[in-house]
Order: sequence, then structure tokens, then C-alpha cells
Amino acid sequence: MIFHYIYITVLIILALMLFACLIRAVKGPRVADRLMSVNMMGTMVMVMISVLALMLNEGYLVDVCLIYAMISFLAVVVLSKVYIGIYEEKRKAEENPDTNTEQGGMSDGNL
Amino acid sequence: MGIFDWIRLIIGSAFLICGLVIFFTEIFGVFHLNYVLNRMHAAAMGDTLGISSCLIGLMFFSGLNFTTLKLMLIVCFLWFTSPVSSHVVARLEVATNDNLDAHCLIYDDVKDLEAELAEADNAAAETDKTTGGEVS
Repeated sequence: MIFHYIYITVLIILALMLFACLIRAVKGPRVADRLMSVNMMGTMVMVMISVLALMLNEGYLVDVCLIYAMISFLAVVVLSKVYIGIYEEKRKAEENPDTNTEQGGMSDGNL
Repeated sequence: MGIFDWIRLIIGSAFLICGLVIFFTEIFGVFHLNYVLNRMHAAAMGDTLGISSCLIGLMFFSGLNFTTLKLMLIVCFLWFTSPVSSHVVARLEVATNDNLDAHCLIYDDVKDLEAELAEADNAAAETDKTTGGEVS
């Protein structure tokens, strides 16, 4: 019973912190700010899923947590590569506006 | 509940509270610092130390079974991936910010920085020598 109360308290505190992270993600003036706070939110959600796995006595939820960790890492890496590619394309277009660089798709930015 | 269960409860709760305090510090730092490359420092702390102490506390609660092993696997995975993702986000910031000089000092070449550091070292050594000579 004591364990149950501890899990509930931890979940509530983590939810409040998650809300603070969300505020940072909305406020963040730059793209890197938002990506960083999304990464933080992923970390906190991982802890929440692990707490739920122990609270509900369902071991398979920890597997979900592992997959979540992998996907959030992949999301951060891919999104930052995509933004670097978009920025390079924009700068190229500003440097020589005569040549129409309409090739379709975005450059991979040294992926 | 036996005495063993009480010990497990106390140690696990201590680790969990430690992790939550580290998460709170992370959020405080993220709101307190005023540039992305500074904020990233605070955010990376929670990604590695915060989640590892939370999950170690949960391992104590869980006991010896496969769930503990999986939690350990998550901690190891995050220790490997968190520095990589921080590095990638920092590269994004450096690549896309046009006036980075307003926020930090930039050297065009690493050799400039090395030369400056060597000069500072030499100056410090010389002052050391002169003061040492005066004392002796």
C-alpha cells in the first residue's frame, strides 16, 4: 500500500514537471530550444512509463519504455539533420537567387 | 512487511527523491539560463543522472527479476545516446545561428585558441618565477 502511494506521488510530481517542459517548448525562441525540451519531455515520460510498469505489475511496459527511448533519440537526430538541411538550402537560395534550385525533396545536410 | 522490505522501501525512495530533485534542478536551469547552449548543459544532466537515479530507485522497488534487467538496459542505452543527441542539437544551433558571436567567443581555427592558451601559460609561469625569486 505504501508503494502505491509513493508511485502516485512520483507520477503527480513528474506530470507537473512535464508541464513546465511543455511551457519551455512553447516559449523557446529557437528551434534548438524546442528540440532540447522535447528531449527532456521524452526522458520524463520514460520515468513515468517505468513507474506505471511497477505500479500495475506489468513487466512488458518496460519494453515499451525501451522502444520509446530509441524512438525519441531517433526523432532528435533526424529532426536536427532536417533543420540543418533546410537552413543550408535557404542560404544557398539567398546566395544565388538566379539559379532556380527546385530539385524536389530536401537536402540531407551531410547525413 | 518485514525488515527487509522496509530497508528496500527506504533505499528506493531515497534514490527516487534524488532523481526528482535532479529533474527539478534541470527545469530550474532550463528556465534560469538565457541561451540554448547554456540551457543544454542543464538539460543533459537530467537525461543521464536524473533518469539513472530514478530507475535505480525503481530497481530497488522491483527486486531481482527481468524488469530490473530491462531498467538497467534503459539506463545504459541513455548513457550512450544522451551525449550524442546533445551534440547533434548543439551542432544544429551552431550551424543555423547567424550571429553566434553575440553569445560566445568563436575562434576560426583551433590553433589560435591553442596559441593563446600557451601564451597565457607562459605568462603565468613567468610571473610565478619572478614572485618565487623575490620570496627566496
